[in-house]
Amino acid sequence: MIIRILLLCGIAATGWLIFLRRNKLPIHIMIVFVGLGAGAAAVVSPGLADRAAKLVGVGRGADLIEYITIVVVMFVLMHYYTKFVELQSQVTHLTRELAILRGELDEKNKP
Amino acid sequence: MSAADRSGTWVVIAAFNEAKVIRDVVASVTRDGWPTVVVDDGSRDATQAEAKLGGAVALRHTINRGQGAALQTGITYALRHGARYIVTFDADGQHDAADIPLLIDALADHDIALGSRFLGKVEGASARRMAMLRTATKVSNKMSGMKLTDSHCGLRAFRATAAPKLTITQDRMAHASELLRKIRTSGMRVTEVPVTIRYTEHSMSKGQGGIQAVRIMFDYFFRA
Repeated sequence: MIIRILLLCGIAATGWLIFLRRNKLPIHIMIVFVGLGAGAAAVVSPGLADRAAKLVGVGRGADLIEYITIVVVMFVLMHYYTKFVELQSQVTHLTRELAILRGELDEKNKP
Repeated sequence: MSAADRSGTWVVIAAFNEAKVIRDVVASVTRDGWPTVVVDDGSRDATQAEAKLGGAVALRHTINRGQGAALQTGITYALRHGARYIVTFDADGQHDAADIPLLIDALADHDIALGSRFLGKVEGASARRMAMLRTATKVSNKMSGMKLTDSHCGLRAFRATAAPKLTITQDRMAHASELLRKIRTSGMRVTEVPVTIRYTEHSMSKGQGGIQAVRIMFDYFFRA
């Protein structure tokens, strides 16, 4: 029982934080809330996850949740890795322009 | 080669913590009349100041971005200042400025001229390093589909008109492999020119080890 309360509190806190920091399209927020809602339903009624697992051909609800979690984590990792590479490229571009500007100013101000 | 020709050829040097040697390296190039731009890649020593004393335009990356990024910064600067030919030259004293006219001459009927130590001369290298370089060339040829005698010589020259097709996006060491891939896919005319490489204690201390090789492969396949 205690674990259910803790998990529901965690899901609620996550939902609240996402709601406060929302800067994406409404559809993105909706998808996240549907995911959180499904998670809350699985916590309140574990039988739901078992039934869903049987529907898609997985033995146990816990296994289904684990598989979904792995796929979601992989997706999030790839998403942020792509963002990271993009940011690196932007930092290089800015560093380059700054170096060239400063160099040109130095050359102009040469005695 | 006339002074006017030399003014249209920019030598680009990427340098990181090279204060000990950069002034002499730059002076060996500027003494022959080649306009030179050094990009200090966020060094913790006086590399930029020393490069200026050698007679180069010295740019500085506020933060370290890697050799590929520094080279591209120098190339961009040179292009914006009217370069017709661009030569990339190492900062650690391995290269000989006397080879620059040979590379530029080769551009008369080619878009890119790559230096080759195996067609030219190597001084001071251990047998182990030579074997490592030959292996790297074989692997690189397999990857790029080219048939070069030396795939990773930093002494190379290309026409300004070829530069847009050779833009370096690999910030770190994988830029050498990236360039070969771009040369291959662009269909530009490429040739190899015999050059002299002199290994010193200093340049050997800056060489790439096995762990670096793994990192280069990672960058090449998974970044940009």
